Amino acid sequence: MHSGCDAPEVRRTVRLTFDGDEIFGFEGQTLAAALLAAGRRAWRFTSRRGEPRGIFCGMGICLDCLVEVDGRPNVRACLTPVAEGMRVATQRGAGSWGAPA
Amino acid sequence: MIRHRLVIVGAGPAGMAAAIAAADAGLEPVLIDENPRIGGQIYRQPPATLISKETEPTNRAARRGAELLRRFQVQSSRMTVLTNTRVWTIFGHRQLGVQGNQGRETIEAEQLILAPGAYEYVPPFPGWTLPGVMTPGGAQQMVKTMGVCPGKRVLIAGTGPFLLVVAEQLQKAGMEVVGVVEAITTAEAIRAFPRLLEHPTLLGEGLGYLNRLRRARVPINRGEVVVEARGDAEVREVVVAKCDPQWRGDPSGQRTFVVDTLAIAYGFVPRAQLPQLAGCRMRFVNELGGWIPETDGNQQTSVPGVWVAGDGGGVAGALVAEDEGTLAGLAASHQLGALDSATFERAQRPVVRRLHRLRRFRAVLDQLSRIRPGLTTIPTPDTIVCRCEELTQAEVETGIDFGGTDLRTLKVMTRLGMGACQGCMCWPAAARWIAARSGKSIEEIGPLSVRPPLGPLSVGDLARQEGISDRTPAVSLGSSEGAPT
Repeated sequence: MHSGCDAPEVRRTVRLTFDGDEIFGFEGQTLAAALLAAGRRAWRFTSRRGEPRGIFCGMGICLDCLVEVDGRPNVRACLTPVAEGMRVATQRGAGSWGAPA
Repeated sequence: MIRHRLVIVGAGPAGMAAAIAAADAGLEPVLIDENPRIGGQIYRQPPATLISKETEPTNRAARRGAELLRRFQVQSSRMTVLTNTRVWTIFGHRQLGVQGNQGRETIEAEQLILAPGAYEYVPPFPGWTLPGVMTPGGAQQMVKTMGVCPGKRVLIAGTGPFLLVVAEQLQKAGMEVVGVVEAITTAEAIRAFPRLLEHPTLLGEGLGYLNRLRRARVPINRGEVVVEARGDAEVREVVVAKCDPQWRGDPSGQRTFVVDTLAIAYGFVPRAQLPQLAGCRMRFVNELGGWIPETDGNQQTSVPGVWVAGDGGGVAGALVAEDEGTLAGLAASHQLGALDSATFERAQRPVVRRLHRLRRFRAVLDQLSRIRPGLTTIPTPDTIVCRCEELTQAEVETGIDFGGTDLRTLKVMTRLGMGACQGCMCWPAAARWIAARSGKSIEEIGPLSVRPPLGPLSVGDLARQEGISDRTPAVSLGSSEGAPT
């Protein structure tokens, strides 16, 4: 949805899922980039108030963009590269360990 | 443990320049960076798989970056460059605990140059935790290295020339930039103008951005601050108010922008954790972004053999960073006996001269964009002030009023600064706010205490045997591997 800018000619598509839905990224992109390109703005709900969070600092410092990847919580979406078959899930609170949906 | 003569942490302009100077002196420096590619936030290139057809540098900053990268490439065979590698602690003064994709290692540096850079300063305001509110640098990285627009309609706000750079990049990438909101008043900017003539090239660069934005019909609004972001699932509108020279918002002079993205920051904060862990004596300089290590004329900190260069030693931008990096690289090489005194002094002289002039220019900018106390009046009692622990202003204020007027006490009382970001996001604003409320000086309140590990580190990773290329874990912890800090 937001992926319109500055598209180079040859990019290798990577398929992953977010909360069970298939989304696409490009090789070399971070998870945050792929999620934003797919029109997602939030991929975590906070522990105390259950509020949505997404990308904030974009450079690994604020730890707001934490998400669950392949059953592992607290992964920084802004630093983690996309990979084929990656299963990404919204993190609720401290997140949960184990197989994602 | 591995020993190296010269280790440089951070591969932005300062770290790269230091590595080049050391390699030129015949040393074989080790350069460590947590990111997948060198360049720092300013010069980092997109991954090879995303390189677009546009290869010519488009502006002067990009050309400087390209030139630095080229000089780096020439010497790169003499260097060990460890990307995706993080320094999670410093033992003693110069023993680095490093963690990479392939394991962990302790590296003892005979000489250590720290070039950790800076991050953007976003003081709290109502709605600042909404998705779609992000830093200008975060939005810029999305567009510049990832080829993704973080939204469709964006307002860019805060202070400093970086806002203009980001405005142009987002606009060129196809986002609708509804405006730039700069806290500095027009009158103040005009008064500073003659002193900025000190460096006509840099002034010209800034004016170039202004002209191009004007041509692109992006309104620049001065003397205004963002007082609220509104929305439910994400930001929908942003309320902006006229402000006084202390940056206090005027409730009667408000207007609203309808956007899906707000990129906001009031300058930068030096990343002081590494110098603090190394035991460097720190001081607070508001104009340079916060707590910075004390340095001598050659960038050496109070700890012999530990040097600091670039924004991590006081925010001053990429040009100053590059020169400081060169200076630290030369001086450390001299310490190690790779440069004799005469050669060192000859090499150092033009750099010192250039730095002197750059710093005079920067001093005007720094004075102009220094953080004003009015920003602390923007949050309301229910505004979240600690993003990680989700503490409201009212909650933290109660802590302050019950005696939590230094970091340690306030942290114990409220959990402020105890979350995943380790206080990076909340502390710079909280310290100013405690100062305003308690009458203490920022120096009395002190810097954020630093506890390793810096950033999340799994118990599994810690339990692994040392050896950066050793992929076999000494202890298999199964699924507990990767537990959060």
